[in-house]
Amino acid sequence: MMNSGFDRRDFLKVLGWSGVAIALNGCGNTSVEDGKETVVSYVETNDYMIPSISTYFNSTCAQCDAGCNITGRIREGRVLKLEGNPDSAINRGKTCGLGQAGVQHHYNPDRVREPLLRKGGQGEAITWEKAYALIAEKLNGVSGEEIAFLTGGVSGHLKVLLGNYLDSFGCKNHFVYEAIAPAVLRAANKKSYGVEMPRFNINKAKVVLSFGADFLGAWVSPVHFSQQYAQFRKGVDGQRGVLIQVESKMTLTGANADRWVVVRPGTEGILALGIINALGTASGDIAAKVRGYDRALVSKETGVPPGQIDKIAALLKLRSPSLVLAGSAAEGYAHGSQNAAAINLLNHVLGNVGKTVEAAAVVPFPQMAPATGNTAALKTLNDGLNAGKYKVLFSYAANPVFTAPGAMKFKDSLAKAGFKVAFAHYLDETAMQADLVLPLDSALEDWGTQVPEYMAEGAQINIQQPLMEKLHANTRGMGDILLALIKLRRAEEYKKFDDYYAYLRTAVLQNKGALGGGVADDDTFWNETLSKGIIKLAGSSHALSGNAATAGLSLPAPAAINAQYPLHLIPSVSASLRDGRHTNQPWLQESPDPLTTIVWDSWVEIHPKKAAELRIAEGDIVEVTGKNGSIKAQAYLFPGIHPDAISVPLGRGHEALGRYARGYGVNPFQILDAVFDKETGELALHETRVKVSKTGQRVIVVKDEGFVGGKQMGKKIAVRVSSDKVELSEEV
Amino acid sequence: MSVNNLLENWSQFRHFHPVDDKPHDPYKWAMSIDLDACTGCNACSVACYAENNLPVVGKEKYAHGQAMHWMRIERYWDEDDRDFPDQGAQFLPMMCQQCEAAPCETVCPVAATNHTADGLNSQVYNRCIGSRYCSANCPYKVRYFNWYDYPTDDNVWPAEMNQQLNPDVTVRGKGVMEKCTFCVQRLHAAKGAARSEGRIVRDGEVQTACQQACPASAISFGNLVDPESRVHKQWKAQQVELDKEEQTKDKKEEGGSELRGYRIFEELRPYPSVMYLERVRESAV
Repeated sequence: MMNSGFDRRDFLKVLGWSGVAIALNGCGNTSVEDGKETVVSYVETNDYMIPSISTYFNSTCAQCDAGCNITGRIREGRVLKLEGNPDSAINRGKTCGLGQAGVQHHYNPDRVREPLLRKGGQGEAITWEKAYALIAEKLNGVSGEEIAFLTGGVSGHLKVLLGNYLDSFGCKNHFVYEAIAPAVLRAANKKSYGVEMPRFNINKAKVVLSFGADFLGAWVSPVHFSQQYAQFRKGVDGQRGVLIQVESKMTLTGANADRWVVVRPGTEGILALGIINALGTASGDIAAKVRGYDRALVSKETGVPPGQIDKIAALLKLRSPSLVLAGSAAEGYAHGSQNAAAINLLNHVLGNVGKTVEAAAVVPFPQMAPATGNTAALKTLNDGLNAGKYKVLFSYAANPVFTAPGAMKFKDSLAKAGFKVAFAHYLDETAMQADLVLPLDSALEDWGTQVPEYMAEGAQINIQQPLMEKLHANTRGMGDILLALIKLRRAEEYKKFDDYYAYLRTAVLQNKGALGGGVADDDTFWNETLSKGIIKLAGSSHALSGNAATAGLSLPAPAAINAQYPLHLIPSVSASLRDGRHTNQPWLQESPDPLTTIVWDSWVEIHPKKAAELRIAEGDIVEVTGKNGSIKAQAYLFPGIHPDAISVPLGRGHEALGRYARGYGVNPFQILDAVFDKETGELALHETRVKVSKTGQRVIVVKDEGFVGGKQMGKKIAVRVSSDKVELSEEV
Repeated sequence: MSVNNLLENWSQFRHFHPVDDKPHDPYKWAMSIDLDACTGCNACSVACYAENNLPVVGKEKYAHGQAMHWMRIERYWDEDDRDFPDQGAQFLPMMCQQCEAAPCETVCPVAATNHTADGLNSQVYNRCIGSRYCSANCPYKVRYFNWYDYPTDDNVWPAEMNQQLNPDVTVRGKGVMEKCTFCVQRLHAAKGAARSEGRIVRDGEVQTACQQACPASAISFGNLVDPESRVHKQWKAQQVELDKEEQTKDKKEEGGSELRGYRIFEELRPYPSVMYLERVRESAV
């Protein structure tokens, strides 16, 4: 088949299998390439589609990057509901609320339907031919260094195509940006365990000590962790797992803890070292490092009573293995890396590495491995834009105009790019600034492969396939667009692929052997792959390197109270709204926040004591002011927060994104200071200091809890029992 | 019938299922919810919106208490005077309890809500005249009234959103009461399929939408009269009996019973079909 002018190695690169550890099977033209078979969308009405009978197709949830495998229920050619795929090691048939709302991404009435070209203040609908011609024209004579490609997390063949496209310009400016990502943790894990994302076995732990890791809410792979959590509660050897959550603002995970420990913001690492000290089992360097962290000092700095520190240490000593997790609340400071390192050290001291922290499986194709997002990338992009470096900017699956910290003034920076192309499902804040908006197929209409960052068991590649025909004639899949664009550059290598489907099919069949296809013929293997929706790989795993070094570990004393801005602002991440990209899904707007039960609006969480001090009552509209501006929102008195902190949820406050998002609530990203973690350069989300003042206005908070605010009034409604009063091992 | 006789033997008169000569046969749908596994994440609630064509009412109507969430998560705090909720919050998924002696049924002037042979508290939309007596009489407050014509006047499902509507479930119009049905459309399909094979529905063959979504598998659902069903085994292990208003656990309350199954508002004698398992909290920390 290598009759065109490029060699086998290039061909592997085109299809994403370069760096393959497993030999490829013999090459041969596929029937698609030979033109004997045309590519027909899998969901075109077939004989088996009987009116009133549902059919089910497997695909992959695209609502977040966890990569849950889903099954779509399709009737009369319409996708009606998404369920979890029971064969998935990640979600085992389960879904979260965010995943359930995936159909509202697809059917959203505010989707972009035509390519739009900016004409004055308006977007004018143009044809795709014109759009591609325009891009070619704008790229003409532009060097690779003058092009920037901004994306959210990408993986699989989309990443391969994108990489190859950028290669065709010699462009190295791929900025992978996620506003909320465990990027500090990845770096800390790399140092502590030798891998960025090991496997956390919550279900094998007898005690989980989590420093602000909201693993039941929005952290890493919540559906997977929720199942592990349920097993953990049933217990290992009949002993029910104990969850201790340390944080300054109660997360959903904190609300489920046996013991929720409130800690002064930013002192999580100090508490971790204090616990190591209290354990008294460390030796050598580690013992020397923690010597100064006696309970009196630690208690004074963290605000955690000495007795509590002793109790936690005693429990950890008694019940092994345990698991210690560092989450976003601990990461979000200028010393976030240090916090995470101190917390990870605790896992080494407790001997959890290798037991509850294990090596994760890896996909043996580096080209397809996920490019994980972070916020340091945004800073680099912002600096580049300010320096006027970029003539053409592409943006996909990221909305930095909404999510960049206010101090960065990203919208102004963006205006300095010559020509801005946004690939978008909706006109979000970033697409509104673009010169050209290219409408994308929804995740339920598009083809793709996805490689999750967090591997639950063995390595797997997820298949995304259309669950129904396209709703709108003029949207295109991201893969198809990239293929069209790359054909403008490297026609020879890609001309044989009519569309992204043909490319994917060829790519998968090309490597059939390594993907478990054995001797099956191409059609059988391909159909089986689509039918399963998951390619399970016999992948290897990177061994953990148990590095318990304390070199470089140094934690600052807690920051002094800032007289002008005395309160810490904690921008909270909800499981359903995340960074705000799904706020236009009405089920999520109307799904009450689990802790406050508030719907359709933002709020400011403030501890009742602090509220009394400031004479603030529930529903008062308060102004939250920091160095970089202010926001106004209703106050909600919330007991699960440190009195020196307030919290405003992220995700709302859109000025665009359609009818269900625009105009509801406020956007705390806007007032974030640009403070960065010293080691990784990640944005320190929790470092913004603010003051709160009353505006004199007041509203009735729209929430699901009654006026009495979460009290049972002496009735036996939601009942709790102490663990020594039950025998879980005798239950069904 | 004397008043004394009526009061003394109230439970016998009050509910028909199950009485000795009319056991639930072959189905009695029931649920059990483990509050120690439930994390309060709301996945069940969103799944219910997706399955049952629940309208999103918007902020203003939500403020008026007109939310239509058949499945809702209630969140409670400890009522002591401590500064911080250091044992977390209490979450409780609340939906129609499908009472055996449902307080809503007796007050309906047109018998729009009544009991099915398989133990569901059903709502006949066509018959409902919107008196809302049932809602007033429901101790769990799980009945939801259509104050507006959500599909038309309110345009809750504008074009293309309407394509997501589940054709197996009626889209309700203005003026009728609605509530959780235990996903009766799924039960109906499963029973039909089993019947055509000459058997009854096996445990695990049918799941409610909330159960299917629940990431922590906190919800079990099944046929209570099937001794092989998980729900039957759980109720049995917890010694909770459908037609009793006082269970073993209640009698042992003082000494601790090692049981954690209970039903909410059992003392009102609605004989609910949902058993909850108490949330456990570690005593050692």
